[in-house]
Amino acid sequence: MITLGLQEKNTLLTDVNKRSGANVLECYQCGKCVSTCPVSNFMDFPPREIMQMVKLGLKEQVYLANSTWFCLTCSACSGRCPREIEIPAVMEAIRHLALEENYTNKSAKVKAIRKFHDIFLDMIRRYGRSYELRLMVEHNIRTRDLFKDVMLAPTALLKGKIPLLVKPVKSAKAIRRMFKMAEKLEQKHK
Amino acid sequence: MARVGVFVCFCGANIADFVDVPAVVEEAKRIREVKFAIDYKYMCSDPGQQQIRDAIVQHRLTSIVVAACSPRMHEKTFRKALSDAGMNPYLLEVANIREHSSWVHQKDKKAATAKAADLVRMAVAKSIANEQLHEISVPVTKRALVIGGGIAGIQAALDIADARIPVVLVEKSPSIGGKMAQLDETFPTLDCSQCILTPKMVDVASHPYIELIPYAEVLELDGFVGNYKAKIKKKASYVNFKTCTGCGACWQKCPVKVPNEYNMGIDKRKAIYTPFPQAVPNKPVIDARYCTMLTKGKCGICSKVCEKGSIDYKMQDEIIEREIGAVVVATGYDLWDPKPYEEYGVGRFKDIITSLEFERMVSANGPTNGVPVRPSDGKVPKNVVFIKCIGSRDEAKGIEYCSKICCMYTTKHTILLHHKVHGSHSYVFYMDIRAAGKGYEEFVKKAQVDTGATYLRGRVSKIYKKGDKLMVRGEDAQIGQVVEVEADLVVLATAVVPNKDNPDLARLLGVSYDKYGYMSEAHPKLRPVETAKAGIFLAGCTQAPKDIPDTVAQASACAAKVCGIFAGDTMKKDPMISTVNKEFCSGCQNCVTVCPYGAIVTEEVPMGHGSKEMRTVAKINEGVCQGCGSCVAVCRSMAISLAGFTDPQIINEIVSI
Repeated sequence: MITLGLQEKNTLLTDVNKRSGANVLECYQCGKCVSTCPVSNFMDFPPREIMQMVKLGLKEQVYLANSTWFCLTCSACSGRCPREIEIPAVMEAIRHLALEENYTNKSAKVKAIRKFHDIFLDMIRRYGRSYELRLMVEHNIRTRDLFKDVMLAPTALLKGKIPLLVKPVKSAKAIRRMFKMAEKLEQKHK
Repeated sequence: MARVGVFVCFCGANIADFVDVPAVVEEAKRIREVKFAIDYKYMCSDPGQQQIRDAIVQHRLTSIVVAACSPRMHEKTFRKALSDAGMNPYLLEVANIREHSSWVHQKDKKAATAKAADLVRMAVAKSIANEQLHEISVPVTKRALVIGGGIAGIQAALDIADARIPVVLVEKSPSIGGKMAQLDETFPTLDCSQCILTPKMVDVASHPYIELIPYAEVLELDGFVGNYKAKIKKKASYVNFKTCTGCGACWQKCPVKVPNEYNMGIDKRKAIYTPFPQAVPNKPVIDARYCTMLTKGKCGICSKVCEKGSIDYKMQDEIIEREIGAVVVATGYDLWDPKPYEEYGVGRFKDIITSLEFERMVSANGPTNGVPVRPSDGKVPKNVVFIKCIGSRDEAKGIEYCSKICCMYTTKHTILLHHKVHGSHSYVFYMDIRAAGKGYEEFVKKAQVDTGATYLRGRVSKIYKKGDKLMVRGEDAQIGQVVEVEADLVVLATAVVPNKDNPDLARLLGVSYDKYGYMSEAHPKLRPVETAKAGIFLAGCTQAPKDIPDTVAQASACAAKVCGIFAGDTMKKDPMISTVNKEFCSGCQNCVTVCPYGAIVTEEVPMGHGSKEMRTVAKINEGVCQGCGSCVAVCRSMAISLAGFTDPQIINEIVSI
């Protein structure tokens, strides 16, 4: 049972709005985002429900939802939203807030997605760009699923979709500086 | 020798799908008197009518049969086609092969066709005996009666009076203003209701063409369009309005306190009172139910303090009569009593109120000076739950229909709460948000986005008490989970129901009403203002629930209709009325008894030519007769005949099949 009281206590709504720059109150629950979203079928709470739960201030449900992690930020939803809500920004804001407030969804799928994010960011920090082969291998190793999608590799390699080696970008240093600045900002925020 | 033309209509697919139209034409051609028969896709269209006009001239037709829809629909259209071709319009007969055949025999085309042919045969036979008839002119009394002094009645009265037509405005309560006078602000513009209404009320009182009769009821209405006679009961007010200055000394000193209807019983008024400070007329009346002087013969304080001596305890109800030509009914609505919602604890929990009570509380001139309070402890509520569709769309406990205005007034209430109580929050339980109207959807968005009202889709299942809070349980269908809201105050958006006096008034006026008690319009789409009775019109919630803009629009439409009736000094009337053959009349007066319109009187005629002895015979007032035929049926000596439905016509019809 969800108990709702005075909305003064609904910090979730204000936090999400502030972080995302969107106004969740604009949502009138039409559901166009849900039918647009390519991955809504896999979500426990599709975007429309996330919006309503943010409105009601259901912090735990929202922070522990897998939807925000499944979101590809493809922006198909926001492109079609009749109220022009930046839904991917809302999803991202919720991800950030959940991590900051130490809410972790412990499902294997979400864990794998979070590892993907970690490896991807690590890759950018290191090379200044994405290195697909290493990303795939490392993800497979760290999720202990060594042969995942391995049959796709030969074709992809032969067609040059995945380069064997990566050329570091020229301004790798600048990128590393950016990461440092971001970390500093994060510290300040806390 | 009669020469009849038969015109059979396809009515698109309405008739043609279930009746073999060409076969009906062939069947008609076999009748001896039919000299011309044809079918057409839409007889009522201009080319269709042109065929009738052409055929009349070319084939020298003496009567016309149109086999089409109900004569209620297009009889006038075809009559006009006849007169355009120089023919007497009453030589037309309509065979209703749509409502009477194609629509009701959709499963058997053969039988439907045969029936249609029969109907045509009958109409042809009848038309042969048709006579040329001529419209009757009746004088018109140019004065309108408006029943009800809410915004609908006020608008209708002002518009009619502005056309310099005298208006009699009868209001049941001591002041005009109606429900709108109880509202704080109006959606979607948040105009102050009083500020836009009271100038109109004052205009009514000061208008030279309006006779305002407050504290009165219509008792009887006799007559017919253009010539009605109304009996109006002026209830005893026990105050002489002519001398009373409205100073207020009487109601200040009156010791009897009773619940104040204007404020929904939240505070008290006196036994001598004006309903509200801006009342028009601003004269008090004594409520005879409560005044101790009138009930027990003790007190008399108001009489003592009245400097003008205006108090008259011996005043009696007075019955007055007015001759009028048209009536506008604007009796407004009541709010549904939510008592059946026991699962909400209505009646048990003090902090559950109705929306009109909430409206009075947030009104600046209300009992709480514009701040909502909890009836239980007088505290200002912070968390307020509004529940929509209370009684509306609830076949089990209330009524089937949507009350139309609750979505919007609830939206308004959330905004008003936000304005009046700092740090408050609104929850709205709803089934749908019906915001069809100019600026309405934007208004809902304003409530949801700008003032942050939380809308929860679902009907509340129960309300229970927890401490000093009310726990409101319902589903939020948007997330498919049950929620409970801790409420300080619960406001029920109760359904709009017709004025409880509507059925009685409708019977008195002779207009029909629906199963709920709303008076029925003549046609739901094309004649939404008229009733089936000529000269009686409907404005506002008398006809169906509607908001203020729609009500005002309908009231002005009524005024236009009334002015249309009064445009000439006389009115044209169908000549289908009864006449008495004095030679045959035995003077039994059975017809006088059965006539529902009081159109038959008696007169004295000589017994024979040149005789001095007199005898009594019936006489029909052609202005009043509506041609119902009741008198024809009861006349033992067959002395009465009804033009357009004479014995030869009817017998012809019967013999033809």
